[in-house]
Amino acid sequence: MKTARPRDMYWVILTFCVAMLPQLLSMPAQLMPIIVLPIAWRLAAERWAWRPIPMPLRVLITIITVLALVATHGGLMGRRAAIGLLTLMLSLKLLETFKVRDARIVASLSLFLGATQFLFTQGIPMAFYAVSITVCAMVALALLHRREAFMPVGAVPATGASIFAELGFSARLLGLAIPVALVVFLFFPRWSSPLWGVPEAALDAKTGLSDRMSPGTIQSLFMDDSPAFRVDFQGTVPPRQALYWRGPVFWIFDGITWSSSYYGRNIRAPERPDADTAPWRYRVQMEPTEQHWIFALDYPALVPDRTRLTLDYQLFSPRSITRLRTYEMASDPEFMDSPNLRRTLRQAALELPADFNPRTRALIDEWRRETPDDRLLITRILRHFNREAFRYSLNPPLLGEHTVDEFMFGTRSGFCEHYASAFTVMMRMAGIPARVVTGYQGGWFNELGGYVLVRQSDAHAWSEVWLPGSGWTRIDPTAAVAPDRVESGALEALGVPRYMMDFAWLRRMKNGFDLVQRGWNDWVIAFSADRQLNMLRPLGLGDLSAFKLVLAMVMGAVLVSLLLLPLVLRLRHAARRDPARRLWLEFQGRLARAGVVTRASHGPMELAVAAGAVLVGARQEIEHIVSLYQRIRYAPEPPPITELRAAIRAFQPNG
Amino acid sequence: MRRLSSIGPRLFPIERLSNYVMQRVRARRGLTRLPYVLEYRNVFILPTAFGVGFGLMLVFMALGGLNFNNNMALLLVFLLATIAQLTTLLTYRNLAALQVEEIHAEPVFCGEPAAFHVYLRNPEERARFAIQAANPRVADCRDLEGLAGDALTVHQATAHRGWQPLAPFRLETRFPLGLFRAWAWLFPTARCLVYPAPDPNPPPLPTTGEGHGGQTRRQEGEQIFGLRAYRLGDPLRRVAWRASARHEQLLTREMEHPHRDACELSWGRLEGRSVEQRIAVLAAWVLRAEQRRLAYSLDLPGVHVPLGTGDNQRARCLRHLALYGL
Repeated sequence: MKTARPRDMYWVILTFCVAMLPQLLSMPAQLMPIIVLPIAWRLAAERWAWRPIPMPLRVLITIITVLALVATHGGLMGRRAAIGLLTLMLSLKLLETFKVRDARIVASLSLFLGATQFLFTQGIPMAFYAVSITVCAMVALALLHRREAFMPVGAVPATGASIFAELGFSARLLGLAIPVALVVFLFFPRWSSPLWGVPEAALDAKTGLSDRMSPGTIQSLFMDDSPAFRVDFQGTVPPRQALYWRGPVFWIFDGITWSSSYYGRNIRAPERPDADTAPWRYRVQMEPTEQHWIFALDYPALVPDRTRLTLDYQLFSPRSITRLRTYEMASDPEFMDSPNLRRTLRQAALELPADFNPRTRALIDEWRRETPDDRLLITRILRHFNREAFRYSLNPPLLGEHTVDEFMFGTRSGFCEHYASAFTVMMRMAGIPARVVTGYQGGWFNELGGYVLVRQSDAHAWSEVWLPGSGWTRIDPTAAVAPDRVESGALEALGVPRYMMDFAWLRRMKNGFDLVQRGWNDWVIAFSADRQLNMLRPLGLGDLSAFKLVLAMVMGAVLVSLLLLPLVLRLRHAARRDPARRLWLEFQGRLARAGVVTRASHGPMELAVAAGAVLVGARQEIEHIVSLYQRIRYAPEPPPITELRAAIRAFQPNG
Repeated sequence: MRRLSSIGPRLFPIERLSNYVMQRVRARRGLTRLPYVLEYRNVFILPTAFGVGFGLMLVFMALGGLNFNNNMALLLVFLLATIAQLTTLLTYRNLAALQVEEIHAEPVFCGEPAAFHVYLRNPEERARFAIQAANPRVADCRDLEGLAGDALTVHQATAHRGWQPLAPFRLETRFPLGLFRAWAWLFPTARCLVYPAPDPNPPPLPTTGEGHGGQTRRQEGEQIFGLRAYRLGDPLRRVAWRASARHEQLLTREMEHPHRDACELSWGRLEGRSVEQRIAVLAAWVLRAEQRRLAYSLDLPGVHVPLGTGDNQRARCLRHLALYGL
């Protein structure tokens, strides 16, 4: 009997390694060795059959490493720290994992560790991750089962030629389980509200636009191609030039940094457009950002749940957005924001730090004398941007104290945030109330999916000025410098690649692939109690109670199982086809019907003797068949199997 | 019939309950007739301790997934739960339809474990993996190829001479992942003959003569034992001339004493000992006589085994000793 080298422990270790990979990559670098070293030790111990480390030493190691973890994370609160602790403990557990029981615990908890990783990201790559850890764990558990089963005997016989037997088995098991799991997933009753609180910080880092803007803020976003949100328009898609997705609005300028005001955050908008007459209706699926803003076109007519519409028409969510969020929205671009500006707001929109940017101030004072009309002054400034040698650039020189002066008279190259900032400052110098608005501009229309994809790299900044008779009015100074920015996007406006592998065709491919990502978001990540209801309603199952849902789920699962059952039952058959053996069984069956008692212990020759004694007339025929069978089995040049088949089919002992 | 498993003085309630259940089941089912096919109605399945733990872990994972509405975590849970559910089928099918063809045990001496060989046959083409016999702990484990047979061995301690029945035992499997255990109880009729434990220090063999043991055939005697080929050094007077004339070689007569090299192992020689002691001594004598290749006879009250030697004689005598008075 072939004996397998015990490889179960390698698979347990592999399961753990795959499961903890995302966690390891997000851990502080100094913690990595204390996760990796126990694994290395255990692998070596398995390879060279080392003995376990003594108990007191293990306890000591555990205490030291936990202290290191606490010191690094500053406590054990927070998800990353808690899951880091789990990872660390599992890794240390490997030091004492020599028995089947411990190995099973490590393999199972690795699956648990895998599930915790979905708290941080649920993208498509995580599906491969889930499948990998499941297959590894199945192989590990199957091998552990064999080790346990054969413990009283000693050696474990091999099940197949190689590990591929176990791998194939696990893969088939998985393939059969996936359809059933999907049915359960669709029908399993969901909770519409959580039982216990969801902690604030869920992502590892904040992304997207933040509550401050200083030179470089949007520039860093510009390098980021990850999706910010996707928009499904009902009816016509507005032209690209109209796609200004409004985000944080800034009132306060300290000379370098723009920040939002108290009003902007806390006062609700006194009125908003009528949603029924709003021309643009759309649904937004927004990626989590850990920030507070959700985005809409000017001017939002609907306010989603858990969100407020502020005085300056930001859609502000008091809780940070930690998960994929989907909301319905309507916008009316014709709506007039603040026909009358209150005095306090006007003051806030004119405030500037004293003694900054003297050259710009002198220039504006001069222009203001020459052009008393607000609108004409604005046109003049924009024309100035357009005619003078201003450049739209990704890598502008750093600015010092008088940012606007240096920008206007020195560097003359910058990004949307530089232009918006400079323009707003100039407006305020001229006595026109102005503020900076950040958000996204444009988007990529996915024709296959019929939706607009807005990426982080579409981040943009522009100005709003308050003019009597038209209220707050959007002015985009960047458009004056680089009209392409608004017409075809920042990447095209720039004209040079952002990094080495930045190709237009690659971006197009990424955009196309986003359709898959969106479907994944829609059906996997964002699937919730509401979505479930929407899915079931067309089936006439809309108003089912949880009990009936479970019933539907069970019935669905049973149905799928019934369809799959034949596959399961044949799981082991295919490898065992042996035509000679089958014919031999058929022969035995014929003998049995003729009254020859066959016993399992009988070999072919004994059977021939026993049968010959009972069926005296057919003795020659029996001996012929037996000899054929033996030659097929043992002869160096066996006769064709058809001969045996013919002989057995012709064998009619009763007739 | 003996009680089911080893029943000690104190039993936990759970053991008492399981004993009670086993006795009820046995009363209903009766003894297992061989060949015996493991069918759905005698194959049971429950999660193992590991299976329960795994299930609990899945419940916690599902609670977390539901609470955070984390669909990937939920998908993983449903996937693992479905796999676990699928393995129940595989576990059951790994055991079902197996045939127990025969149970057989060679006689052992009291104190040695009785080894019952359970002959299993896999009537289907698919292989069976890690089929275990347990009484109540797992004793043996085998893989069965498709359409093949193999034997599992169940050991059982012996404490008394005589027939020892095989206690009920389980055929079970935890294939494929060890999450579930399927099992079938067997209430076999098989029994093992337990020879009496031989006395470790028996009195000397009661041979008739001076006790030269195995040398007797080489000694001179009165009766002709047989003829053999002449070897250098044989005395001439022992050459069988007449017989040699009929063959083409010289033959020498072998002589033996009929009474001197045979031993009569009889009950009567062991006055003053208890029945079991006598049996132990007689068993030891049988073994010793067989070892020295002496012919021996056995006399027990009511039993007479005539003079003989060899494995059959040994088995016959030990069998009578094992069953004496039972």
